[in-house]
Amino acid sequence: MSDMQETAQRAKHNPLLAWAKNPVMGVLAVLIAIFAISAILSPYFLTAYNMSVVARGLAFVALVTIGQASLMILGELDLSLGTIGGLSGIIAGMLMVNAGLDPWLSMALALCMGATLGLVNGLLVTSLGLHSLVLTIGTAGIYGGAILVLTRGVAITDIPREMQFLGRGTLFGFPMPFVVMLVVLAFAVFLTMKTPFGRYMYAIGNNRDAARMLGIKVDTIRVLVFVMAGTLSALAGLLLVARLGTAQPSIGDTWVLGPIAAAVIGGVATTGGVGSILGAIFGAAIIGIIENIIVLFGVSPYWQGIVSGAIVVIAISFDAISRRWLRREG
Amino acid sequence: MLRFVQSTVASALLVATAAVPAVAQDDAGTQKKDSYRFVIIPKVVHPWFDKVNDGAQMAAAAIEAQSGSSVQIDYSAPQSADVVQQNQILESSIATRPDGIAIDLLDPAGNRASLEDAQYQEIPLTLFDSVPPEGMDIPYIGSDFCEQAKIASRRLVELLDGEGQVAIMMGVPSAPNHSIRAECHREVFAEHDGIEVVAEGIDNDDIQTAQKQAAAIMQANPELDGWVASDAAGPVGIGQAIVEAGKEGEVQLVGLDNLNEMLDLIRDGVADSSSASQPELQGYWSVMLLWQQATGAPVPTYIDTGNAFITQDNVDG
Repeated sequence: MSDMQETAQRAKHNPLLAWAKNPVMGVLAVLIAIFAISAILSPYFLTAYNMSVVARGLAFVALVTIGQASLMILGELDLSLGTIGGLSGIIAGMLMVNAGLDPWLSMALALCMGATLGLVNGLLVTSLGLHSLVLTIGTAGIYGGAILVLTRGVAITDIPREMQFLGRGTLFGFPMPFVVMLVVLAFAVFLTMKTPFGRYMYAIGNNRDAARMLGIKVDTIRVLVFVMAGTLSALAGLLLVARLGTAQPSIGDTWVLGPIAAAVIGGVATTGGVGSILGAIFGAAIIGIIENIIVLFGVSPYWQGIVSGAIVVIAISFDAISRRWLRREG
Repeated sequence: MLRFVQSTVASALLVATAAVPAVAQDDAGTQKKDSYRFVIIPKVVHPWFDKVNDGAQMAAAAIEAQSGSSVQIDYSAPQSADVVQQNQILESSIATRPDGIAIDLLDPAGNRASLEDAQYQEIPLTLFDSVPPEGMDIPYIGSDFCEQAKIASRRLVELLDGEGQVAIMMGVPSAPNHSIRAECHREVFAEHDGIEVVAEGIDNDDIQTAQKQAAAIMQANPELDGWVASDAAGPVGIGQAIVEAGKEGEVQLVGLDNLNEMLDLIRDGVADSSSASQPELQGYWSVMLLWQQATGAPVPTYIDTGNAFITQDNVDG
């Protein structure tokens, strides 16, 4: 019997071990540890207001992370998701403020535009056989440039009040953007874990050629996931416009590397076929909490990069070491 | 029973008194605490804001010396000039329940929701180097941004004898102080028929971006005669671009603010002069206003810290 078979046999007899060996649980353990340490060290961390700050901040980047992690499972990367979010927010703002369109119709049109920009990325990647990383560096430049052309760097103000509820309101005490993110997350987890579509995503990420030989419509699925990622980025951009009450040209600037880092911390491999959406969101939550506690602890802005980087390195090292230890014990 | 109620009420009063031992409930302006903690939130990590922080620390030392209360200044800056990041810092700071927050708004409309959170939680606010969102009652400190810009653009017109091609560096276009300065530069140039604004750049208050923008604009406009800027980083980048292009003396630069690099450009003769706001004073009076609010004292709506005009004659003086 091989080592792996032996380990699997032992894990079958020990549900706790099987649970602990799940990669998502390692990230979750790190998240819980950071959460607990923050709660112990700062009396302000667990207050209702601070929790709502953390949850709301997480919601925007998490929506983009869901899209980016889905693409990474396929073995793709989209560096234009931030600018898609920003451009969609600007378009929504222009439609509802400058053109006087109904806010909800404007939102729907902006979401469609996000989906279309994702579709453009997906079609260019699949039809021309381009590397998604390289292509989306270019499209990020185009979409980001379009933001500057449309706004000349000036924010669009006077976003209608009825739309601002989406960004500023609460539902059962939870910030609305967080509620929206939870709904999307539930859908994405179901899609990737419980449907054939999700299984095909992992198969494509593991070996695209083998997936094609199995009859999986590889390119169709790749394009659909690009569309989904574009739509989610647009949704994040719209929620942020609703939160700020203005459509800022800078929306999405921080959504390029952050979601990729969150997904990698959460166990999603950039090479495809490995990881989960839930793990990526836990990764995003780890980053969000670190950003929060750095302010709560009054860390000097000149030290913030070092401190947050060090916490991430310690966290993922802890995760890797504990997994190795569990494998040996298993 | 009556005795029980009386003793319970007395105990409750004792507990209530013990819970706030450091705050004396006196008249407005005379409330005193043993310690204060104020948060300073600039637009971005930037040397100009380090000078604001220096002024804030000076005010903290002054309050400690005069009142005996300890004063802590938490300086928390966004890593980039991004209103979303600034709001995150503002909201996280609100969660720590400080005695006051002084902030330089990146975009009043975009910062409004977070400022309303602070007001709702009764945390004293002061704005520096920026104006409050429309309809919000927040004391603010700064110099007359328009006048500061006009001092610079008038000087450039004077240097060019009222004739020539000029360019404006706009800073962060959505930042109100930068956009006000850019608009006031345009107003001054529009008053002179011989002055033509041939280009405007956006540097997002970043020296490297300013240098790249300025280099490109000078390439595209070889007849360019002079520059003004709307932010502190802008003239430093422009100065570097002028030196790299070998156009010292050929292209005039009237700068803004008093970063060390700006002062060096004046000393080296690359820039003629600079119209400088006084960041140390803005930091100093921000903390003073927060402290006054924390003591319950009424505070002025606006404090003008004035502008200085720096030339080779007074740069080291």
